[in-house]
Amino acid sequence: MRLLPPLLLLACVEPTPTPEVPGVRGDAPAYGAPAPTLRRLTSTQLHNSLRDLFGDTLALPTSLEPDEESAGLRSVGAAVTSISPRGVEQYEAAAFLVAEQVMAEGALRDEWVPCEPVATTDETCAGLALAGLGERLWRRPLTEAELTVLVALSSNAASTLGDFYGGLSYGLAAMLQSPYFLYRVELGREDADGERRFMDYELASRLSFFLWNTAPDPALLDAAAAGELETEAGLLAQIDRMLADDRARQGVRDLFTEIYHLYELDDLSKDPSVFEHMSAQVGPSAREETLLGVEYLTFEAQADMRDLFTTRRTFLDRTLAAIYGVPAPARDGFAETMLPEDGPRRGLLGQVATLGLHAHAVSTSVTRRGLFVREVLLCQEMPLPPADVDTSIPEASADSPTMRERVERHLTDPACAGCHTMTDPIGLGLEQFDGIGRFRTEENGATIDPSGELDGVAYTDALGLGAALRVHPNTTACLVETVYTYAWGHDPDDAEDATVDWFLEGFTLTEHRLLALLRDIASSEAFRAAGEI
Amino acid sequence: MKRALRLQPKARLPFTPSRRLVLRGLLGGLAVSVALPPLLSLGSRRARAADDGFPLRFGLFTWGNGNLPDRWVPTQEGEGDAWSLSEQLAGLALVKPDLTVITGLSCKVPNIVPHGSGNAGMLSGLALDQSTGEDTFAGPSIDQLIAAEIGQDTLYQSILTAASNVNGSSYNGPFSRNPPDTDPYTLYERLFGATFREPGEEGLVDPTLGLRRSALDAVMGDIATLNARVGSEDKLRLEQHLDGVRQLETRLARLEEDPPSLESCARPATPEVSYPDLEGRPQVSARNRVMADMLAMALACDQTRVFGHTISDPVSDLLFDGASAGHHDLTHNEGGDQPEVHNITLQIMDQLAVLIEALRAVPEGDATLLDHCVVMAVSEVSLGRTHSLDEMPILLAGSCGGALKTDLHLRSTGQESTNRAHLSVMRALGIPALSFGEDDGYTEDGLSGLEV
Repeated sequence: MRLLPPLLLLACVEPTPTPEVPGVRGDAPAYGAPAPTLRRLTSTQLHNSLRDLFGDTLALPTSLEPDEESAGLRSVGAAVTSISPRGVEQYEAAAFLVAEQVMAEGALRDEWVPCEPVATTDETCAGLALAGLGERLWRRPLTEAELTVLVALSSNAASTLGDFYGGLSYGLAAMLQSPYFLYRVELGREDADGERRFMDYELASRLSFFLWNTAPDPALLDAAAAGELETEAGLLAQIDRMLADDRARQGVRDLFTEIYHLYELDDLSKDPSVFEHMSAQVGPSAREETLLGVEYLTFEAQADMRDLFTTRRTFLDRTLAAIYGVPAPARDGFAETMLPEDGPRRGLLGQVATLGLHAHAVSTSVTRRGLFVREVLLCQEMPLPPADVDTSIPEASADSPTMRERVERHLTDPACAGCHTMTDPIGLGLEQFDGIGRFRTEENGATIDPSGELDGVAYTDALGLGAALRVHPNTTACLVETVYTYAWGHDPDDAEDATVDWFLEGFTLTEHRLLALLRDIASSEAFRAAGEI
Repeated sequence: MKRALRLQPKARLPFTPSRRLVLRGLLGGLAVSVALPPLLSLGSRRARAADDGFPLRFGLFTWGNGNLPDRWVPTQEGEGDAWSLSEQLAGLALVKPDLTVITGLSCKVPNIVPHGSGNAGMLSGLALDQSTGEDTFAGPSIDQLIAAEIGQDTLYQSILTAASNVNGSSYNGPFSRNPPDTDPYTLYERLFGATFREPGEEGLVDPTLGLRRSALDAVMGDIATLNARVGSEDKLRLEQHLDGVRQLETRLARLEEDPPSLESCARPATPEVSYPDLEGRPQVSARNRVMADMLAMALACDQTRVFGHTISDPVSDLLFDGASAGHHDLTHNEGGDQPEVHNITLQIMDQLAVLIEALRAVPEGDATLLDHCVVMAVSEVSLGRTHSLDEMPILLAGSCGGALKTDLHLRSTGQESTNRAHLSVMRALGIPALSFGEDDGYTEDGLSGLEV
């Protein structure tokens, strides 16, 4: 057990270079690029972008159009959903909230308005400020026509208000409400060979949102302007720079927040009269535990990502340590710890983010836990129950004290068994953890039997289930497919499958190191290929 | 995009501006371009008014997971003293004179996705759209269909609220959802904050309103330019976005007009700044009560004529007071005659009663606000345990300016489509609806037993 938070210790260590896919893999297969679509910034991307530009002290807008999920990911939902009238209203309020802070007297204004206005209206100075802000917010330089509109708007407002900076806040607010800020406009265009591709600024934006989940920084925009992203060496140099940057941690955290739906932990609903450890802190703490673990495997350890299912190493605060029944590794905040070697809990399946989130408010749910494993970890689509059947299970009784007896009908009635034999046995393997994730060996006085098998691999308890998941052939394929889906904002179809397999081959050759996968995808031809609109 | 609703071709009505349009000059007399949205200048209004001149309003009240039909359906049919409330409806006793219970109707969409199919069927009149592999509504939900017809004259085409943290089911079309306000204080600030004017006060004289519209003009220009470069699906998304920008621009222009002179309009009480969960349970009743008062005033002040108010979403596992588990969990797993599920239905009906009473408490002329409303309360299933779409729960409150009967239990014995109720409601609101629904649910007939 270590006494210091790990990130502080490791900050002194030289970064390991990003692993490359060895040359034994064949050439990239034929690829049919999907049609490009606008992607609305997720609320996380919007916040990240604003924080990058205007710093941590900026009061961020909190009331924004909610993100929608599609194919299990918000980044896919962002490619299909629109902006509602209420959303327009919220984005307008958000725009002025930000613009007024930036244009208030102080350091932010000094940074972003690089000139002294000569009068209340000063179109030259306004143009300079708006061009600088615009390039960052719209992730490309503004056209002259665009700048003219914004300068005129700002000057009119300045005259009306009798205040140059007040006027400028209207130009900035218009920029923040523009579709060029609110959507990722990555449409592709024909290159010299007549191939439709994402180039320069569009490619910079694609790279940046994929690896950092935020807008490009000045260095990336400069590289785009200089045409460096169109050379192999220039592109790789940027990707390696980005993966070595701290924002890559934010990118990986946001990626796994989406994959595991960790944002749902903010609204974790548990009845505190049933779960004495329940508090408002449990959800946020559980989210942080899972993300610190992913971050450690990805960056510090550069380990096989499958360790996520079997590792004893985790990061706990007092809230979670109390639920896990282990000593808190630090008085305040999170610290690294090794779960007991002879303990019942290891890896993602032993975390509250899995056990608590995929359960009911007052009890476990073998079906929900099983669904999480099947759908999210193994990418196996499970049909919904038919709408017109009674899915109820009997209440606990002397004959059926534990969940294993209670869900027997799910597993024997032919109307249920088709799907429930896929999900419920997995959930039964986790039944030694109650609805919030506390370990237990009995339910209603009877011993819980957590044994089972996962697609041919038998296990006796949750540890064995985690081990079976580690070696399941879908586990790595699913992660690769999900990362691809996240990067593209689109569920891959037939013309893309071979490319996803090719990325999987690379992932396997690099022993499942996530940074290698991110680098491989970001530097691929496919990532730059744009379909017909 | 589909629409469940077919309308009569527009009749040309003589255009009479119902309110004075005052565009106040901007300080400094600058030539700021103020694009007048077409809604302000065209005679597209056809919102029907009640005989006493008050506008007609529509409210949608939804809750998740249905009811217990055996204890919901009143035993007697008829009007007035001929019928009495059932066990599940007992909490509505005080508003029985203003209530209509419709029973025996079926939601005639293919019941494929538990809760999802019924939700789309009840609210949009259309089958759930699964064409992309992802579930969504195929067309607008009824609140938005109605708002498009009667919501054009007010600051807000519709106001959507929820007494718990939900996504809501108000759709403009596929993948375009209107999120409800779930936080009472945010709702208050929005409706009754700095821009609110009581009757008799003058419109806002605020140069920033015009400047904000100028900023929106720039945004609309960007949307138009971008629209020319994108594919057809993105064009639809941008059109929806543009529609929202236009609505906001219209609203900013209307803030400069004098507020309508409505006697009963007043600022409601300020809600608490936050309503934290108590013992892990959301404060549904407290939030519902203040939201009901705000909705009533939003109507009384003619800020909107259409609202949607949600207690809980389909499949909601909300922990209601006194319940030993989440609502959805209980509907499937509680044994016997499901006393806890019954208790939750009672709590939900109490929320509806609070809303109806809030509307009835506002006098309008010789009548009440409720008399100028029709509130429709529905859920996405009947018996939650089996996701049944027969014997759907439908309640109406308010006579819609005398167009609808009240104090009535109307029972259909032929398992007719729930869309008949929707059609009657729309016609009562003066919407020239020819038909509603599709396939098995298609209907050109309302429920004649409802209509006066």
